[in-house]
Amino acid sequence: MSDLDGAIAQLRACRLIPEAQVRELCYKARELLIEEGNVVSVDAPVTICGDIHGQFHDLMELFRVGGDVPDTNYLFMGDFVDRGFYSLESFLLLLCLKVRYPDRMTLIRGNHESRQITTVYGFYDECIRKYGSANVWRYCCEVFDYLALGALVLGASSELEPSVSNVESTQAMMPIDDGELETEVLNSKGEVTVSTYRRRQRSSSNTSTDSRNISPPRDISAAPGNSSQAPLRSGAPGTGASGSGSGSYGNTSRTGAVLCVHGGLSPAIESVDKIRLIDRKQEVPHEGPMCDLLWSDPDEIEGWGLSPRGAGFLFGGDIVKGFNYTNDLSLVARAHQLVMEGYKEMFDGGIVTVWSAPNYCYRCGNVAAILELGEDTSNGGTVARNNGEYGRSNGLLMGSNGVGSSVVSPGRRYRVFEAAAQDTRGMPAKKPVADYFL
Amino acid sequence: MALEPQPPSVRKRVKVYELRDNDWFDRGTGFCTGQFLEDEPRIFVESEDEPGRVLLETKINRDDGYQKQQETLIVWTEPTGTDMALSFQEAEGCAVIWDFVHSVQHHMGVATTDDLSEDLDSYHQVMLPAPELGNLPEIEQIMRVASMSQPGRDTLSKIVIRDDYVTKLIPLVSVAEDLESLPDLHRLCSIMKSVILLNDNTIIENVVADPLILGVVGALEYDPEFPTHKANHRQYLADESRFKEVVPIKDPIIRKKIRCTWRLQYLKDVVLARILDDPTFSVLNSLIFFNQVEIVNHIQSNAAFLKELFSVFDPRNPDMRRKEDAVQFLHQCAVIAKNLQPQGRASLYANFIGHGLFAVIAFAVKHPRPSVRTTGIDILVALLDHDPILMRGYMLKAVNEKKTPLTDTLIDLLHMESDLGVKNQLADAIKVLLDPQVTMQDAMGRAGPDYFAKLRPNNILSDAFVQHHFDESAKKLFMPMGNLEHRTNFHDLTFHEVALYAHLVDILGFFIRQDMFRNRHVLQTEAIAPRIAQLLTVPQKHLKLAAVKFFRGLIGLHDTFYQAILTRHNTFGLILDIVRETMPRDNLLNSACLELFECIRRENIKTLIVHVVEKYREKLLSIIYVDTFINLVNRYEQMQGYGADAEFTLSARGEEAQTPRVQPNGQRWPGVGEMDAAEEAYFNTSDDEEEWQQTNSDTAQNAPTLPPLPAAKPLVDYPDDDDEDAMDTQSDSTQAQKQEEKPSRQEPHLTQSPDIRPTTPPSQPPPERLSEKRRREEEDEDELVKLTSGGPKRRSSTSSNSGSAGFLRRKRSIEKGNTRSTGNVSAPPKKISINIGAKSSNTTTTTSSEKEN
Repeated sequence: MSDLDGAIAQLRACRLIPEAQVRELCYKARELLIEEGNVVSVDAPVTICGDIHGQFHDLMELFRVGGDVPDTNYLFMGDFVDRGFYSLESFLLLLCLKVRYPDRMTLIRGNHESRQITTVYGFYDECIRKYGSANVWRYCCEVFDYLALGALVLGASSELEPSVSNVESTQAMMPIDDGELETEVLNSKGEVTVSTYRRRQRSSSNTSTDSRNISPPRDISAAPGNSSQAPLRSGAPGTGASGSGSGSYGNTSRTGAVLCVHGGLSPAIESVDKIRLIDRKQEVPHEGPMCDLLWSDPDEIEGWGLSPRGAGFLFGGDIVKGFNYTNDLSLVARAHQLVMEGYKEMFDGGIVTVWSAPNYCYRCGNVAAILELGEDTSNGGTVARNNGEYGRSNGLLMGSNGVGSSVVSPGRRYRVFEAAAQDTRGMPAKKPVADYFL
Repeated sequence: MALEPQPPSVRKRVKVYELRDNDWFDRGTGFCTGQFLEDEPRIFVESEDEPGRVLLETKINRDDGYQKQQETLIVWTEPTGTDMALSFQEAEGCAVIWDFVHSVQHHMGVATTDDLSEDLDSYHQVMLPAPELGNLPEIEQIMRVASMSQPGRDTLSKIVIRDDYVTKLIPLVSVAEDLESLPDLHRLCSIMKSVILLNDNTIIENVVADPLILGVVGALEYDPEFPTHKANHRQYLADESRFKEVVPIKDPIIRKKIRCTWRLQYLKDVVLARILDDPTFSVLNSLIFFNQVEIVNHIQSNAAFLKELFSVFDPRNPDMRRKEDAVQFLHQCAVIAKNLQPQGRASLYANFIGHGLFAVIAFAVKHPRPSVRTTGIDILVALLDHDPILMRGYMLKAVNEKKTPLTDTLIDLLHMESDLGVKNQLADAIKVLLDPQVTMQDAMGRAGPDYFAKLRPNNILSDAFVQHHFDESAKKLFMPMGNLEHRTNFHDLTFHEVALYAHLVDILGFFIRQDMFRNRHVLQTEAIAPRIAQLLTVPQKHLKLAAVKFFRGLIGLHDTFYQAILTRHNTFGLILDIVRETMPRDNLLNSACLELFECIRRENIKTLIVHVVEKYREKLLSIIYVDTFINLVNRYEQMQGYGADAEFTLSARGEEAQTPRVQPNGQRWPGVGEMDAAEEAYFNTSDDEEEWQQTNSDTAQNAPTLPPLPAAKPLVDYPDDDDEDAMDTQSDSTQAQKQEEKPSRQEPHLTQSPDIRPTTPPSQPPPERLSEKRRREEEDEDELVKLTSGGPKRRSSTSSNSGSAGFLRRKRSIEKGNTRSTGNVSAPPKKISINIGAKSSNTTTTTSSEKEN
């Protein structure tokens, strides 16, 4: 593995590895990925990341903020390439890390991991420029075909351990009596900027079928990096208002699984299991379930809508609720859309968009975020697979019309970060062609 | 100024272009005049070939939609939204028409933007101080403010041009460098950026010209956004050795164009890559494009040059280095040619072929260095992309003349090639060359401009001849498969063997999808199917997968011949073994196999259901971790007219009953073969979709001899794209409708789905046309997305204010909000886009498969 470590070191320095090594890497990755299901099961703790888009230096910043591999487990939700100037370095590094630490890195496919898209949005040209031929592009596209379509995070904790923050402002955020820390937003220095709590449940008298009772910071108006306004959103007003939620906290409430896909849901896929029946080794089709998973977007509509992208669909809050409910999910995490604050929860926290390319295209001025899900240690570390292939218990489904099926959303820690400091990355630029005849 | 504008008296030779599908379509060459008709000013272009035919008649509008680009180009947007361009032969002709347009507009009371003769009154808002170091802060400030508004930008452009401002700024760079005054250098850089982003053609052309370029990029080396860095653009651009010449190009104008084009590319890709906005990006691209057109035209019309170029490959010439360079040179020509109009490309290639391009390719593909081989095949692939029929014509001609056809060379190379990248390319090239779908008759029947026929070698060849050639080639191509026959142990397969088999299986799958009939013979006489079945047992999983996908492809054909093949050689037994091997695990191989069986059941292919169930019943019933197999057995029994087993009645399969059948994968835990009633009910209610699938497949069954269902056609014809995704391609809309008709209690939202993709009813991709083969598509509504029109850093520009059309165009190019996307000029070198801010025809469509190129 020494050459792999060598390759990792070289790529971390933003230097490319030779074509032969890329080929070998891609073949190794293929062997590995062919063993993965269309939906990979991933155990918490894990850090979920959105689009990278070839912004290599920002990827390095992401690792700095989120912890290095293999100390932190990562799940990247696709769109590694295109647009940025270092798609090759970024993707190859991620792929190296995947091959080196297969259990600690999960890569799923985004809509840009496709032959068509990459020829238009830069990755193809970058390969030609940097390697002189399309061979490396072919190898990478072959790997794209093997990438999983989604991931299911199991065993995430419903409660966050409050971050130890090194700023004064933390005192303002002492957990309210009886509250349980649900979400926390940290800036890149590790300072807490926003916290939300959910009321700890005592009674089991809840009859609401919507068991989620969170108060997501739906519209974080200021950039989360601004710590001064932090405490405003702490506290439980939303929590109280939304009713009680988990019928029986403690022994029987569970954190539902978190489905991670690049785009979103598909009208052709009503259950997570159905994704399994896709033969995914192909170019991303123009329509159908596989396409939708990579292309759809949530929107403030009811039901399904036509996507302005020309592929995939728009889906509303009712769809997300229904899907989560049917599949015992507590959250759908996806990427695919630029959000200026780095992340955006929608539909009462039923879905979240995570975006990990700060100052997208070197000009958008957005911040990026990653989402950390902690490990649920309350059951001695055993994972109750809510939607694993085999572990689902019948009882839960029986109660579909009544009480009982209570899924608690996982505690979510967002780390927000900005583009890498300029002195660490130099001037982003494309590599010019070396020689020319015409 | 108030005089009635006089139409120009002479006719100017001009080419008329129209932007179609983001591509400049050549409407023809003719003579351009400006005229008044019923007091309306018009531009006429009359065809030069057929006098009397009007290529263009357009009324000159008041709107400021006309742009003069470079010296010879006028572009504008028709009221219908179509982008048009006139490319004049002479700069003088262009100027005459431009003046006419101009004076007409003036007469109508519209001030056009870059009228240098305009009253200086409008200049008064913007005054640039003298270009001196001390004034830099003020200059920077004024530029920044002026750039924010369109009039400000226009005025600024005029002043910069009138005063030759850039030339005056440049000496300041070295002064500031001598003084080591970083703040001044940063300001100079910002000023220079502002000047370029004014997006004025004249300025940009100036900037890349000889006297200015080094000074300009010198200033751009000191980017204030990266205060600790200094780029080395000057060093790069000053390096004369980067320009290579195989055969010297003598024309000084062309030489200059080559240099400028290279600089423009460098500006676009390196210097300005981060800061380019859409309009400037398009302007740079179109400048590059038109330069390249001229360069390539010059080269191909220069017979002496071509003769010398191709004589480099004379076997007596020992200079290998020069040959390699010449290959590179031709490759660059081919890359540029991809952007040309089909006609231009055709004549370029015809010229090259006439001078001996095939010999060059033959030289390159046998070259010891993989990189040269790659380049050679790239040229070949470019030719194939351009006109595969033409290429096949040459190939058959060679066969006819008893010469070794290109295909044979390529097949030999494929078998022997050690570089896996090159092997990959070779496989792709062979696919296109031998593509059985299009016969030469089709080729001849294909209507086209006359010279297409002229170019094509005389090749009215009989279908039998074509079939014979195909059979011979296929025999040769698939020969290595035969080596598997006596092999029992696959653990010692070498890497190259594995790669070769994977390619061969892929190619054969492709051939069969293209033409079921022509391949029957091959499959039968060469006994390939059992060999591929053998591959189902190899340890290399991806090869195993390739074999599974091959058989899955056959199933999708709904053809009795191939169904018969499938039922032999224990094929399904071997596939079932794969399921069992991978069984509890959820992995790609497993999913592919499940999908295969799901497809048989879903499409209700009776022959196969009977075969599989009768032969492998025990095996099927033993796999219970998914209900795919039990459902298959049930389907069989139902076909036999038996009542269903009591055990399975719950799933109420069949007959569009009130209770739809169990979802294929509703139960998913090993060892549990049945569900309790409540859960059953749950699944049943949520699963009306099964029904339509069944109806649908029933219809399919009624017509088993139909040609391959579109579902089995690759949607995107990439070489290794096996797109048999019948699961969904069949009838999304049907599904939607069905769901609408039959609301389900559990998922009320589905009832609101009539609006699912109304634009893509059974709009199957049409059978792929040959000419589209292997062409990359732009699938690109990607980035259509959310338009937040004009993000913080977007600026409007001179050209993008031509009405809502411009806005649409813009919108299309904005991805995810406010970013400059390469959308409307996507893939810089592949498509040109003149910045006339108008929607192209595909802007409004929602189909996701726009062809590009």
